[in-house]
Amino acid sequence: MLLGPAIDLLLEPFAYQYMARAIWVSALVGAVCAFLSCYLILKGWALMGDALAHSVVPGVALAYLLGFPYAIGAFTSGIIAALGIAFVRRLTMLREDAVIGLVFTTLFAIGLLIVSINPTSVNVQSIVLGNILAISDDDVTQVIVIAAISLAILGLKWKDLLLAFFDESHARSVGLNPWLLRVLFFVLLSACTVAALQTVGAVLVIAMVVTPGATAHLLTDRFGMMIGLAMLIGAATSALGAYLSFFLDGATGGLIVVLQTLVFLAAFVFAPKYGRLAARRSARRAAEVIR
Amino acid sequence: MTWSAPAWLWSWFIDPLAHSFMQRGLVVAVLVGAVCALLSCYLVLKGWALMGDAVSHAVLPGIVIAHVIQIPLAIGAFAAGLGCAIATGYIKSNSRIKEDAVMGIVFSGLFALGLVLFVKVETDQHLNHILFGNMLGVQWPDVLEAALIAVPAIVIVIAKRRDLLLYCFDPTHARAIGLPVGTLHFGLLTLLALTIVASLKAVGIILVIAMLIAPGAIGYLLTKRFDAMLAIAAAAAIGSSVVGTILSFHIDGATGPTIVVVQSALFVLAVMIKRGGRSANA
Repeated sequence: MLLGPAIDLLLEPFAYQYMARAIWVSALVGAVCAFLSCYLILKGWALMGDALAHSVVPGVALAYLLGFPYAIGAFTSGIIAALGIAFVRRLTMLREDAVIGLVFTTLFAIGLLIVSINPTSVNVQSIVLGNILAISDDDVTQVIVIAAISLAILGLKWKDLLLAFFDESHARSVGLNPWLLRVLFFVLLSACTVAALQTVGAVLVIAMVVTPGATAHLLTDRFGMMIGLAMLIGAATSALGAYLSFFLDGATGGLIVVLQTLVFLAAFVFAPKYGRLAARRSARRAAEVIR
Repeated sequence: MTWSAPAWLWSWFIDPLAHSFMQRGLVVAVLVGAVCALLSCYLVLKGWALMGDAVSHAVLPGIVIAHVIQIPLAIGAFAAGLGCAIATGYIKSNSRIKEDAVMGIVFSGLFALGLVLFVKVETDQHLNHILFGNMLGVQWPDVLEAALIAVPAIVIVIAKRRDLLLYCFDPTHARAIGLPVGTLHFGLLTLLALTIVASLKAVGIILVIAMLIAPGAIGYLLTKRFDAMLAIAAAAAIGSSVVGTILSFHIDGATGPTIVVVQSALFVLAVMIKRGGRSANA
Protein backbone atom coordinates (compact mmCIF):
# COMPACT_ATOMS: atom_id res chain seq x y z
CA MET A 1 0.00 0.00 0.00
CA LEU A 2 2.85 2.33 0.84
CA LEU A 3 4.77 1.15 -2.17
CA GLY A 4 2.86 3.26 -4.69
CA PRO A 5 3.69 6.68 -3.20
CA ALA A 6 7.26 5.58 -2.51
CA ILE A 7 7.80 4.66 -6.15
CA ASP A 8 6.17 7.89 -7.25
CA LEU A 9 8.60 9.79 -5.05
CA LEU A 10 11.57 7.87 -6.42
CA LEU A 11 10.47 8.48 -10.01
CA GLU A 12 9.60 12.12 -9.47
CA PRO A 13 12.98 13.50 -10.62
CA PHE A 14 12.51 11.91 -14.05
CA ALA A 15 9.32 13.87 -14.56
CA TYR A 16 11.38 17.03 -14.85
CA GLN A 17 13.23 17.51 -18.09
CA TYR A 18 16.05 19.44 -16.44
CA MET A 19 16.64 16.56 -14.02
CA ALA A 20 16.72 13.88 -16.70
CA ARG A 21 19.17 16.01 -18.66
CA ALA A 22 21.36 16.70 -15.63
CA ILE A 23 21.54 12.96 -14.90
CA TRP A 24 22.72 11.84 -18.30
CA VAL A 25 25.02 14.80 -18.94
CA SER A 26 26.65 14.15 -15.55
CA ALA A 27 27.06 10.46 -16.39
CA LEU A 28 28.72 11.33 -19.70
CA VAL A 29 31.15 13.78 -18.09
CA GLY A 30 31.84 11.33 -15.26
CA ALA A 31 32.72 8.59 -17.75
CA VAL A 32 35.15 10.74 -19.78
CA CYS A 33 36.88 12.13 -16.68
CA ALA A 34 37.19 8.59 -15.30
CA PHE A 35 38.90 7.48 -18.52
CA LEU A 36 41.53 10.19 -18.10
CA SER A 37 41.86 9.47 -14.38
CA CYS A 38 43.44 6.08 -15.11
CA TYR A 39 46.43 7.80 -16.72
CA LEU A 40 46.66 10.56 -14.10
CA ILE A 41 46.72 8.02 -11.27
CA LEU A 42 49.50 5.93 -12.74
CA LYS A 43 51.61 8.92 -13.78
CA GLY A 44 51.20 10.79 -10.47
CA TRP A 45 49.67 13.85 -12.12
CA ALA A 46 46.83 14.44 -9.65
CA LEU A 47 48.00 17.98 -8.93
CA MET A 48 47.89 18.82 -12.65
CA GLY A 49 44.18 18.00 -12.75
CA ASP A 50 43.51 20.25 -9.78
CA ALA A 51 45.67 23.00 -11.24
CA LEU A 52 43.94 23.00 -14.63
CA ALA A 53 40.52 23.13 -13.01
CA HIS A 54 41.41 26.22 -11.00
CA SER A 55 43.28 27.87 -13.85
CA VAL A 56 40.32 27.92 -16.22
CA VAL A 57 38.26 30.12 -13.88
CA PRO A 58 39.46 33.51 -15.23
CA GLY A 59 38.73 32.34 -18.79
CA VAL A 60 35.22 31.27 -17.83
CA ALA A 61 34.60 34.53 -15.97
CA LEU A 62 35.72 36.59 -18.95
CA ALA A 63 33.70 34.45 -21.36
CA TYR A 64 30.47 35.00 -19.46
CA LEU A 65 31.33 38.67 -19.01
CA LEU A 66 31.99 39.33 -22.69
CA GLY A 67 29.50 36.78 -24.02
CA PHE A 68 31.59 34.26 -25.96
CA PRO A 69 31.42 30.46 -25.51
CA TYR A 70 32.72 29.55 -22.08
CA ALA A 71 34.64 26.57 -23.44
CA ILE A 72 36.89 28.85 -25.52
CA GLY A 73 37.69 31.10 -22.56
CA ALA A 74 38.38 28.15 -20.30
CA PHE A 75 40.53 26.47 -22.87
CA THR A 76 42.62 29.58 -23.48
CA SER A 77 43.34 30.12 -19.82
CA GLY A 78 44.12 26.41 -19.40
CA ILE A 79 46.78 26.74 -22.08
CA ILE A 80 48.11 29.93 -20.49
CA ALA A 81 48.43 27.98 -17.22
CA ALA A 82 50.33 25.13 -18.88
CA LEU A 83 52.70 27.59 -20.61
CA GLY A 84 53.10 29.58 -17.38
CA ILE A 85 54.07 26.45 -15.46
CA ALA A 86 56.60 25.42 -18.11
CA PHE A 87 58.01 28.97 -18.26
CA VAL A 88 58.43 29.43 -14.49
CA ARG A 89 60.02 25.97 -14.20
CA ARG A 90 62.57 26.90 -16.80
CA LEU A 91 63.40 30.21 -15.12
CA THR A 92 63.64 29.06 -11.49
CA MET A 93 64.94 26.20 -9.39
CA LEU A 94 61.64 25.86 -7.51
CA ARG A 95 60.09 22.44 -6.95
CA GLU A 96 57.47 21.45 -9.49
CA ASP A 97 54.57 21.33 -6.99
CA ALA A 98 55.33 24.86 -5.79
CA VAL A 99 55.41 26.17 -9.37
CA ILE A 100 52.13 24.47 -10.24
CA GLY A 101 50.53 25.77 -7.04
CA LEU A 102 51.82 29.27 -7.65
CA VAL A 103 50.53 29.48 -11.23
CA PHE A 104 47.09 28.00 -10.62
CA THR A 105 46.36 30.02 -7.47
CA THR A 106 47.39 33.19 -9.30
CA LEU A 107 45.03 32.48 -12.19
CA PHE A 108 42.26 31.46 -9.79
CA ALA A 109 42.69 34.70 -7.84
CA ILE A 110 42.57 36.71 -11.07
CA GLY A 111 39.33 34.93 -11.92
CA LEU A 112 37.79 35.74 -8.54
CA LEU A 113 38.95 39.34 -8.89
CA ILE A 114 37.27 39.67 -12.30
CA VAL A 115 34.05 38.24 -10.86
CA SER A 116 34.17 40.50 -7.81
CA ILE A 117 34.57 43.63 -9.93
CA ASN A 118 31.60 42.62 -12.13
CA PRO A 119 29.43 40.71 -9.68
CA THR A 120 26.30 40.78 -11.82
CA SER A 121 27.62 38.98 -14.89
CA VAL A 122 28.51 35.61 -13.38
CA ASN A 123 27.57 33.70 -10.30
CA VAL A 124 30.86 32.77 -8.72
CA GLN A 125 29.32 29.79 -6.95
CA SER A 126 28.25 28.18 -10.20
CA ILE A 127 31.85 28.27 -11.48
CA VAL A 128 33.48 27.12 -8.27
CA LEU A 129 30.86 24.60 -7.18
CA GLY A 130 29.12 23.74 -10.47
CA ASN A 131 25.44 24.05 -11.24
CA ILE A 132 24.32 21.27 -13.54
CA LEU A 133 20.68 21.57 -12.51
CA ALA A 134 20.45 25.05 -13.97
CA ILE A 135 22.73 24.57 -16.98
CA SER A 136 21.76 26.52 -20.11
CA ASP A 137 21.06 24.84 -23.47
CA ASP A 138 24.18 26.37 -25.04
CA ASP A 139 26.34 25.04 -22.24
CA VAL A 140 24.82 21.57 -22.54
CA THR A 141 25.73 21.55 -26.23
CA GLN A 142 29.30 22.55 -25.42
CA VAL A 143 29.62 19.86 -22.75
CA ILE A 144 28.26 17.14 -25.06
CA VAL A 145 30.52 18.15 -27.96
CA ILE A 146 33.59 18.21 -25.72
CA ALA A 147 32.78 14.90 -24.07
CA ALA A 148 31.93 13.09 -27.31
CA ILE A 149 35.08 14.24 -29.14
CA SER A 150 37.28 13.40 -26.14
CA LEU A 151 35.73 9.97 -25.77
CA ALA A 152 36.21 9.24 -29.48
CA ILE A 153 39.87 10.28 -29.42
CA LEU A 154 40.54 8.32 -26.23
CA GLY A 155 38.82 5.25 -27.67
CA LEU A 156 41.11 5.38 -30.71
CA LYS A 157 44.34 6.36 -29.00
CA TRP A 158 44.24 4.78 -25.54
CA LYS A 159 46.88 2.16 -26.30
CA ASP A 160 49.21 4.69 -27.91
CA LEU A 161 48.90 6.93 -24.86
CA LEU A 162 49.62 4.01 -22.55
CA LEU A 163 52.74 3.07 -24.48
CA ALA A 164 53.96 6.66 -24.75
CA PHE A 165 53.53 7.29 -21.02
CA PHE A 166 54.95 4.10 -19.60
CA ASP A 167 57.44 2.84 -22.16
CA GLU A 168 58.71 5.83 -24.06
CA SER A 169 61.57 4.12 -25.91
CA HIS A 170 59.31 1.33 -27.09
CA ALA A 171 56.75 3.89 -28.20
CA ARG A 172 59.41 5.69 -30.19
CA SER A 173 60.62 2.47 -31.80
CA VAL A 174 57.15 1.70 -33.15
CA GLY A 175 56.96 5.17 -34.65
CA LEU A 176 54.87 7.06 -32.08
CA ASN A 177 55.69 10.60 -31.03
CA PRO A 178 55.55 10.65 -27.18
CA TRP A 179 55.77 14.43 -27.01
CA LEU A 180 52.83 14.87 -29.36
CA LEU A 181 50.77 12.30 -27.46
CA ARG A 182 51.54 14.07 -24.21
CA VAL A 183 50.31 17.35 -25.67
CA LEU A 184 47.20 15.57 -26.94
CA PHE A 185 46.57 14.16 -23.47
CA PHE A 186 46.81 17.54 -21.78
CA VAL A 187 44.56 19.11 -24.39
CA LEU A 188 42.00 16.38 -23.66
CA LEU A 189 42.46 16.85 -19.93
CA SER A 190 41.80 20.58 -20.12
CA ALA A 191 38.79 19.96 -22.35
CA CYS A 192 37.32 17.49 -19.85
CA THR A 193 38.12 19.80 -16.98
CA VAL A 194 36.06 22.42 -18.73
CA ALA A 195 33.17 19.96 -19.09
CA ALA A 196 33.44 18.82 -15.48
CA LEU A 197 33.33 22.43 -14.35
CA GLN A 198 29.65 22.42 -15.22
CA THR A 199 28.80 19.36 -13.17
CA VAL A 200 30.96 19.54 -10.05
CA GLY A 201 32.69 22.94 -10.25
CA ALA A 202 36.35 23.95 -10.22
CA VAL A 203 37.16 22.81 -6.71
CA LEU A 204 35.89 19.23 -7.05
CA VAL A 205 37.15 18.46 -10.58
CA ILE A 206 40.19 16.84 -8.97
CA ALA A 207 37.93 14.09 -7.59
CA MET A 208 36.45 13.38 -11.03
CA VAL A 209 39.90 12.98 -12.61
CA VAL A 210 41.49 11.02 -9.76
CA THR A 211 39.08 9.00 -7.61
CA PRO A 212 37.50 6.61 -10.19
CA GLY A 213 40.93 5.68 -11.57
CA ALA A 214 42.32 5.09 -8.08
CA THR A 215 39.35 2.89 -7.19
CA ALA A 216 39.78 0.83 -10.35
CA HIS A 217 43.51 0.58 -9.69
CA LEU A 218 42.71 -1.20 -6.41
CA LEU A 219 40.43 -3.66 -8.20
CA THR A 220 42.43 -4.84 -11.20
CA ASP A 221 45.90 -5.21 -12.67
CA ARG A 222 44.90 -4.98 -16.31
CA PHE A 223 44.81 -1.51 -17.85
CA GLY A 224 41.92 -2.15 -20.23
CA MET A 225 39.86 -3.51 -17.34
CA MET A 226 40.90 -0.54 -15.19
CA ILE A 227 39.56 1.90 -17.79
CA GLY A 228 36.27 -0.01 -18.02
CA LEU A 229 35.77 -0.15 -14.26
CA ALA A 230 36.75 3.50 -13.78
CA MET A 231 34.30 4.64 -16.46
CA LEU A 232 31.54 2.54 -14.93
CA ILE A 233 32.22 4.01 -11.48
CA GLY A 234 32.51 7.55 -12.85
CA ALA A 235 29.29 7.36 -14.85
CA ALA A 236 27.27 5.58 -12.15
CA THR A 237 28.31 7.87 -9.28
CA SER A 238 27.73 10.97 -11.41
CA ALA A 239 24.26 9.86 -12.51
CA LEU A 240 23.27 8.79 -9.00
CA GLY A 241 24.67 11.98 -7.50
CA ALA A 242 22.70 14.14 -9.91
CA TYR A 243 19.57 12.07 -9.19
CA LEU A 244 19.95 12.34 -5.41
CA SER A 245 20.59 16.07 -5.56
CA PHE A 246 16.93 16.48 -6.56
CA PHE A 247 15.93 15.44 -3.05
CA LEU A 248 18.54 17.63 -1.44
CA ASP A 249 17.80 20.75 -3.50
CA GLY A 250 21.30 21.22 -4.79
CA ALA A 251 24.90 20.31 -3.99
CA THR A 252 25.05 18.06 -7.06
CA GLY A 253 28.84 18.23 -7.25
CA GLY A 254 29.18 17.50 -3.55
CA LEU A 255 26.94 14.43 -3.77
CA ILE A 256 28.75 13.03 -6.83
CA VAL A 257 32.12 13.35 -5.15
CA VAL A 258 30.90 11.97 -1.81
CA LEU A 259 29.62 8.89 -3.68
CA GLN A 260 32.94 8.51 -5.52
CA THR A 261 34.81 8.73 -2.22
CA LEU A 262 32.53 6.11 -0.62
CA VAL A 263 33.14 3.72 -3.53
CA PHE A 264 36.87 4.31 -3.16
CA LEU A 265 36.76 3.60 0.58
CA ALA A 266 34.78 0.41 -0.06
CA ALA A 267 37.44 -0.71 -2.54
CA PHE A 268 40.17 0.28 -0.08
CA VAL A 269 38.69 -2.06 2.54
CA PHE A 270 37.13 -4.88 0.49
CA ALA A 271 39.11 -5.11 -2.78
CA PRO A 272 39.82 -8.81 -3.43
CA LYS A 273 43.57 -8.48 -3.87
CA TYR A 274 44.65 -5.01 -2.75
CA GLY A 275 42.08 -4.24 -0.02
CA ARG A 276 42.85 -3.95 3.67
CA LEU A 277 40.93 -7.13 4.55
CA ALA A 278 42.75 -9.12 1.88
CA ALA A 279 46.09 -7.79 3.12
CA ARG A 280 45.23 -8.79 6.68
CA ARG A 281 44.12 -12.25 5.52
CA SER A 282 47.32 -12.89 3.62
CA ALA A 283 49.40 -11.60 6.55
CA ARG A 284 47.64 -14.08 8.85
CA ARG A 285 48.19 -16.89 6.36
CA ALA A 286 51.87 -15.99 6.11
CA ALA A 287 52.15 -16.05 9.90
CA GLU A 288 50.58 -19.52 10.01
CA VAL A 289 52.96 -20.82 7.37
CA ILE A 290 55.92 -19.57 9.38
CA ARG A 291 54.59 -21.22 12.52
CA MET B 1 57.41 68.91 -7.35
CA THR B 2 59.51 66.38 -5.45
CA TRP B 3 57.05 66.23 -2.55
CA SER B 4 53.83 66.13 -4.55
CA ALA B 5 54.19 62.48 -5.59
CA PRO B 6 54.54 61.26 -1.98
CA ALA B 7 51.59 63.41 -1.03
CA TRP B 8 49.11 61.70 -3.35
CA LEU B 9 50.66 58.35 -2.55
CA TRP B 10 50.23 59.10 1.14
CA SER B 11 46.58 59.94 0.74
CA TRP B 12 46.07 56.90 -1.54
CA PHE B 13 47.25 54.77 1.39
CA ILE B 14 45.77 56.69 4.29
CA ASP B 15 42.34 57.81 3.07
CA PRO B 16 40.78 54.32 2.97
CA LEU B 17 41.87 53.79 6.57
CA ALA B 18 39.40 56.42 7.73
CA HIS B 19 36.87 53.57 7.59
CA SER B 20 37.02 51.29 10.61
CA PHE B 21 36.28 48.19 8.48
CA MET B 22 39.42 48.97 6.49
CA GLN B 23 41.47 49.22 9.69
CA ARG B 24 40.25 45.82 10.86
CA GLY B 25 40.79 44.34 7.41
CA LEU B 26 44.33 45.67 7.26
CA VAL B 27 45.24 44.31 10.70
CA VAL B 28 43.90 40.85 9.90
CA ALA B 29 45.49 40.85 6.43
CA VAL B 30 48.92 41.63 7.86
CA LEU B 31 48.53 39.00 10.58
CA VAL B 32 47.40 36.27 8.19
CA GLY B 33 50.01 37.28 5.61
CA ALA B 34 52.82 36.99 8.19
CA VAL B 35 51.90 33.57 9.56
CA CYS B 36 51.19 32.11 6.10
CA ALA B 37 54.51 33.47 4.83
CA LEU B 38 56.53 31.73 7.54
CA LEU B 39 54.78 28.41 6.95
CA SER B 40 55.12 28.77 3.18
CA CYS B 41 58.92 28.62 3.44
CA TYR B 42 58.68 25.08 4.83
CA LEU B 43 55.98 23.97 2.39
CA VAL B 44 58.03 25.18 -0.58
CA LEU B 45 61.18 23.42 0.65
CA LYS B 46 59.44 20.20 1.59
CA GLY B 47 57.29 19.94 -1.54
CA TRP B 48 54.06 20.15 0.44
CA ALA B 49 52.16 22.56 -1.81
CA LEU B 50 49.43 19.97 -2.31
CA MET B 51 49.32 19.29 1.44
CA GLY B 52 48.45 22.94 2.08
CA ASP B 53 45.79 22.71 -0.60
CA ALA B 54 44.41 19.51 0.90
CA VAL B 55 44.25 20.62 4.52
CA SER B 56 42.64 23.94 3.60
CA HIS B 57 39.82 22.31 1.63
CA ALA B 58 39.29 19.58 4.20
CA VAL B 59 38.30 22.00 6.97
CA LEU B 60 34.87 22.64 5.41
CA PRO B 61 32.98 19.68 6.97
CA GLY B 62 34.61 20.50 10.30
CA ILE B 63 33.17 23.99 10.17
CA VAL B 64 29.66 22.76 9.36
CA ILE B 65 29.69 20.03 12.02
CA ALA B 66 31.09 22.44 14.63
CA HIS B 67 28.21 24.74 13.81
CA VAL B 68 25.68 21.93 14.31
CA ILE B 69 27.05 20.71 17.64
CA GLN B 70 27.69 24.26 18.86
CA ILE B 71 31.43 24.24 19.42
CA PRO B 72 33.80 26.97 18.20
CA LEU B 73 34.21 26.74 14.41
CA ALA B 74 37.98 26.95 14.76
CA ILE B 75 38.07 23.67 16.72
CA GLY B 76 35.98 21.81 14.14
CA ALA B 77 38.07 23.21 11.30
CA PHE B 78 41.30 22.26 13.03
CA ALA B 79 40.13 18.70 13.72
CA ALA B 80 38.98 18.17 10.13
CA GLY B 81 42.20 19.58 8.68
CA LEU B 82 44.38 17.37 10.84
CA GLY B 83 42.07 14.41 10.19
CA CYS B 84 42.62 14.86 6.45
CA ALA B 85 46.39 14.73 6.88
CA ILE B 86 46.21 11.63 9.10
CA ALA B 87 43.77 9.80 6.79
CA THR B 88 46.02 10.57 3.83
CA GLY B 89 49.00 9.08 5.63
CA TYR B 90 47.03 5.97 6.61
CA ILE B 91 45.60 5.25 3.15
CA LYS B 92 48.91 5.95 1.46
CA SER B 93 50.86 3.51 3.60
CA ASN B 94 48.17 0.83 3.29
CA SER B 95 47.38 0.84 -0.42
CA ARG B 96 49.15 1.01 -3.75
CA ILE B 97 47.85 4.47 -4.63
CA LYS B 98 50.42 7.28 -4.93
CA GLU B 99 50.45 9.96 -2.26
CA ASP B 100 49.33 12.84 -4.49
CA ALA B 101 46.30 10.89 -5.66
CA VAL B 102 45.40 9.82 -2.11
CA MET B 103 45.59 13.42 -0.99
CA GLY B 104 43.34 14.49 -3.86
CA ILE B 105 40.80 11.78 -3.05
CA VAL B 106 40.69 12.52 0.68
CA PHE B 107 40.45 16.28 0.51
CA SER B 108 37.94 16.38 -2.34
CA GLY B 109 35.83 13.80 -0.50
CA LEU B 110 35.88 15.85 2.68
CA PHE B 111 35.17 19.10 0.84
CA ALA B 112 32.27 17.45 -0.97
CA LEU B 113 30.92 16.12 2.33
CA GLY B 114 31.13 19.64 3.70
CA LEU B 115 29.13 21.01 0.76
CA VAL B 116 26.41 18.37 1.15
CA LEU B 117 26.18 18.95 4.91
CA PHE B 118 26.09 22.68 4.31
CA VAL B 119 23.07 22.39 2.03
CA LYS B 120 21.36 20.08 4.52
CA VAL B 121 22.01 22.21 7.59
CA GLU B 122 20.40 25.59 8.10
CA THR B 123 23.21 27.92 9.07
CA ASP B 124 23.68 31.62 9.43
CA GLN B 125 27.11 31.25 7.84
CA HIS B 126 27.53 32.37 4.24
CA LEU B 127 29.14 29.70 2.10
CA ASN B 128 30.86 32.41 0.06
CA HIS B 129 32.44 33.83 3.21
CA ILE B 130 33.79 30.43 4.23
CA LEU B 131 35.12 29.75 0.74
CA PHE B 132 36.53 33.15 -0.14
CA GLY B 133 36.79 34.93 3.19
CA ASN B 134 35.31 38.26 4.08
CA MET B 135 38.26 40.42 4.88
CA LEU B 136 36.39 43.70 5.12
CA GLY B 137 33.57 42.20 7.16
CA VAL B 138 35.68 40.94 10.06
CA GLN B 139 34.84 42.24 13.50
CA TRP B 140 37.31 42.94 16.32
CA PRO B 141 36.52 39.59 18.07
CA ASP B 142 37.41 37.84 14.78
CA VAL B 143 40.68 39.76 14.64
CA LEU B 144 41.38 38.74 18.23
CA GLU B 145 40.64 35.08 17.46
CA ALA B 146 42.95 35.15 14.42
CA ALA B 147 45.65 36.78 16.55
CA LEU B 148 45.25 34.22 19.33
CA ILE B 149 45.95 31.44 16.84
CA ALA B 150 48.44 33.19 14.56
CA VAL B 151 50.77 34.75 17.15
CA PRO B 152 51.58 31.48 19.00
CA ALA B 153 52.04 29.78 15.60
CA ILE B 154 54.50 32.51 14.54
CA VAL B 155 56.40 32.21 17.85
CA ILE B 156 56.67 28.41 17.55
CA VAL B 157 57.78 28.52 13.92
CA ILE B 158 60.50 31.06 14.71
CA ALA B 159 61.64 29.32 17.91
CA LYS B 160 61.81 25.87 16.27
CA ARG B 161 62.99 27.00 12.85
CA ARG B 162 66.29 25.05 12.94
CA ASP B 163 64.67 21.71 13.85
CA LEU B 164 61.84 22.13 11.35
CA LEU B 165 64.28 23.09 8.62
CA LEU B 166 66.46 20.03 9.20
CA TYR B 167 63.36 17.84 9.24
CA CYS B 168 62.18 19.31 5.90
CA PHE B 169 65.53 18.97 4.20
CA ASP B 170 66.87 15.71 5.55
CA PRO B 171 64.55 13.66 7.79
CA THR B 172 67.11 10.83 7.97
CA HIS B 173 69.79 13.13 9.29
CA ALA B 174 67.31 14.72 11.69
CA ARG B 175 66.51 11.27 13.06
CA ALA B 176 70.19 10.35 13.27
CA ILE B 177 71.05 13.33 15.47
CA GLY B 178 68.18 12.46 17.79
CA LEU B 179 65.47 14.91 16.79
CA PRO B 180 61.91 13.64 17.37
CA VAL B 181 61.01 13.34 13.68
CA GLY B 182 57.46 12.11 14.29
CA THR B 183 56.75 15.04 16.59
CA LEU B 184 58.21 17.47 14.08
CA HIS B 185 56.10 15.98 11.29
CA PHE B 186 52.91 16.34 13.29
CA GLY B 187 54.07 19.66 14.65
CA LEU B 188 54.38 21.04 11.13
CA LEU B 189 50.98 19.61 10.15
CA THR B 190 49.45 21.11 13.28
CA LEU B 191 51.00 24.49 12.55
CA LEU B 192 49.67 24.27 9.00
CA ALA B 193 46.16 23.47 10.20
CA LEU B 194 46.33 26.28 12.78
CA THR B 195 47.48 28.76 10.14
CA ILE B 196 44.63 27.82 7.85
CA VAL B 197 42.12 28.16 10.68
CA ALA B 198 43.52 31.59 11.56
CA SER B 199 43.19 32.67 7.93
CA LEU B 200 39.63 31.40 7.52
CA LYS B 201 37.70 34.57 8.26
CA ALA B 202 40.00 36.75 6.20
CA VAL B 203 40.87 34.89 2.99
CA GLY B 204 38.70 31.79 3.15
CA ILE B 205 39.65 28.18 2.57
CA ILE B 206 40.20 28.32 -1.19
CA LEU B 207 42.63 31.22 -1.43
CA VAL B 208 44.73 30.52 1.64
CA ILE B 209 46.80 28.05 -0.41
CA ALA B 210 48.04 30.95 -2.56
CA MET B 211 49.34 32.74 0.54
CA LEU B 212 50.96 29.47 1.61
CA ILE B 213 53.11 29.20 -1.54
CA ALA B 214 53.99 32.56 -3.10
CA PRO B 215 55.92 34.22 -0.21
CA GLY B 216 58.10 31.15 0.34
CA ALA B 217 58.77 30.92 -3.38
CA ILE B 218 59.83 34.60 -3.45
CA GLY B 219 62.15 34.07 -0.50
CA TYR B 220 63.58 30.93 -2.09
CA LEU B 221 64.42 32.79 -5.28
CA LEU B 222 66.15 35.72 -3.65
CA THR B 223 68.39 34.12 -1.04
CA LYS B 224 70.26 30.94 -0.16
CA ARG B 225 70.10 31.47 3.64
CA PHE B 226 67.06 30.18 5.46
CA ASP B 227 66.76 32.99 8.02
CA ALA B 228 66.90 35.50 5.18
CA MET B 229 64.31 33.45 3.28
CA LEU B 230 61.92 33.64 6.25
CA ALA B 231 62.48 37.39 6.53
CA ILE B 232 62.01 38.06 2.81
CA ALA B 233 58.89 35.88 2.70
CA ALA B 234 57.36 37.68 5.68
CA ALA B 235 58.23 41.11 4.30
CA ALA B 236 56.82 40.25 0.86
CA ALA B 237 53.61 38.88 2.37
CA ILE B 238 53.06 41.79 4.75
CA GLY B 239 53.80 44.30 1.99
CA SER B 240 51.37 42.53 -0.35
CA SER B 241 48.71 42.43 2.36
CA VAL B 242 48.96 46.17 2.92
CA VAL B 243 49.09 47.13 -0.76
CA GLY B 244 46.45 44.54 -1.73
CA THR B 245 43.98 45.64 0.94
CA ILE B 246 44.29 49.31 0.01
CA LEU B 247 44.25 48.55 -3.72
CA SER B 248 41.09 46.46 -3.41
CA PHE B 249 39.38 49.48 -1.83
CA HIS B 250 40.27 51.70 -4.79
CA ILE B 251 39.36 49.21 -7.53
CA ASP B 252 36.31 48.00 -5.61
CA GLY B 253 37.36 44.36 -5.94
CA ALA B 254 37.47 41.44 -3.51
CA THR B 255 40.31 41.86 -1.01
CA GLY B 256 41.65 38.28 -0.77
CA PRO B 257 42.15 37.82 -4.52
CA THR B 258 43.74 41.29 -4.80
CA ILE B 259 46.34 40.40 -2.16
CA VAL B 260 47.10 37.14 -3.98
CA VAL B 261 47.52 38.92 -7.31
CA VAL B 262 49.89 41.46 -5.69
CA GLN B 263 51.92 38.58 -4.24
CA SER B 264 52.12 36.97 -7.66
CA ALA B 265 53.28 40.26 -9.17
CA LEU B 266 56.02 40.36 -6.53
CA PHE B 267 56.99 36.82 -7.51
CA VAL B 268 57.33 37.88 -11.16
CA LEU B 269 59.45 40.82 -9.98
CA ALA B 270 61.63 38.43 -7.95
CA VAL B 271 62.15 36.22 -11.01
CA MET B 272 63.19 39.27 -13.03
CA ILE B 273 65.59 40.50 -10.31
CA LYS B 274 67.09 37.04 -10.11
CA ARG B 275 67.52 36.77 -13.89
CA GLY B 276 68.83 40.33 -14.15
CA GLY B 277 71.36 39.68 -11.38
CA ARG B 278 72.55 36.48 -13.02
CA SER B 279 73.11 38.02 -16.45
CA ALA B 280 74.92 40.99 -14.84
CA ASN B 281 77.26 38.58 -13.04
CA ALA B 282 77.90 36.47 -16.09
